[in-house]
Amino acid sequence: MRKGCQVTDHRRPARRRGQGELEAQVLLALRQAPGPVSAAWVRERLGGDLAHTTVLTILTRLLAKNAVSRERVSRAFLWRCTADEAGLAARRMRHLLDGEADREAVLARFVTSLTAEDERLVRELLNETDEGPEG
Amino acid sequence: MGLFVFLPLVLPLTAWPIARLAEQHLHPRRATRLLAWLSAVMAVCSTLSLALIMVVGTAQLPHNPLPDGWSDPEVREAVPYDEVAGAAAIPALTTVTVLGTATLWRHHRVRRRAARALDHLPRRPVAVVRDVRPYAYALPGRPDRVVASTGMLARLDSAERRALFAHERVHLTARHHRYLLTTRLAARTNPFLRPLHHAVAFGAERWADEEAARLLGDRRLMARAVGKAALAGPRSPGPTIAALAAPGPVPRRIAALLEPPPAPAAWPALWTATGLAAWTAAAGTTVSALASANSAFALITLLHAATPL
Repeated sequence: MRKGCQVTDHRRPARRRGQGELEAQVLLALRQAPGPVSAAWVRERLGGDLAHTTVLTILTRLLAKNAVSRERVSRAFLWRCTADEAGLAARRMRHLLDGEADREAVLARFVTSLTAEDERLVRELLNETDEGPEG
Repeated sequence: MGLFVFLPLVLPLTAWPIARLAEQHLHPRRATRLLAWLSAVMAVCSTLSLALIMVVGTAQLPHNPLPDGWSDPEVREAVPYDEVAGAAAIPALTTVTVLGTATLWRHHRVRRRAARALDHLPRRPVAVVRDVRPYAYALPGRPDRVVASTGMLARLDSAERRALFAHERVHLTARHHRYLLTTRLAARTNPFLRPLHHAVAFGAERWADEEAARLLGDRRLMARAVGKAALAGPRSPGPTIAALAAPGPVPRRIAALLEPPPAPAAWPALWTATGLAAWTAAAGTTVSALASANSAFALITLLHAATPL
């Protein structure tokens, strides 16, 4: 798989990782898996420094978010990633946007959020243009 | 050097009127560049004088590592109120250093993490992420990329999307993140420079709006794209007292786009409000720079004389 070779993250030695980052890494590991894999495979792939229950917790959380699916094979679950690259990128991006107070200083955002008064003004101004806000 | 050494710490105040007037009267490109430079020069001068005051202040402390001659009375006389000022300068300069380093570090961390978030998407100038939340960012890096969420693109028609991408490309080609980082660092070194940072942030948006509108040949289209994108996004709590509610950046950008394009900047005449503000700021910066240079020179001469060789 072409994309697989760009990834180096999961080989790193143990260090503290945030929840969002862990989710992203688990998803990445699943993306690179040859097919549906067990939680033990995911744990192995992440470097083995996580508890088995942690991996299961993350997988369950991702299941609730519809980012992964699972099937029962004999007595274990096999997991697969359902999100595509654009979805995964969005997940990582959102994690970054939510977590960084300073993001506005670095990433020039197209528009800033409006106050109620701003919203009224914007609607008025847009009505002046030909098509209006709904146009 | 006397009180001159304190001047660069307060002279950034002279830049306030120009931050306001530059927005109203100068072409956004010129306003952004001018304010960023002002901010950088004043920050350097302010930090330099803080360092000078600190050297004199540190020399008074017992067990300091500086040469003994540096606490001679003639050195101490160089800085008025040397005991108070010197003692205050030490935590002040430490704070400035810590804040500045933290700002730089966070800047690089955000860029690195954003680049990593997009690692697996095709390395094209536009990265579309599948997210219902509407957002769009210009992300400098290798390669420079525009990040847009599907939530944002879904609210815009194809012409408006072109406007959005044109706007973000201007941010990237004109390297706006450098102006923003510069003024942000400056605002960390001297809080009086904070209004300049806000003015530059707004100026960069206006610059991108104007340049994109020029490339598209349609100012109304640009205005509509900004408006629709903003209406799609979240609301922030406004000031509770209605009289204080000055229009935010988005309505101001749209209003400016609905006006004719700004004149491609000649320097303003002296006897207009803009002219006066420009010259006040220019004078403030010059005096600030001269005062720092003068103080630095005086102190270095003095310390040199006081150092036993």
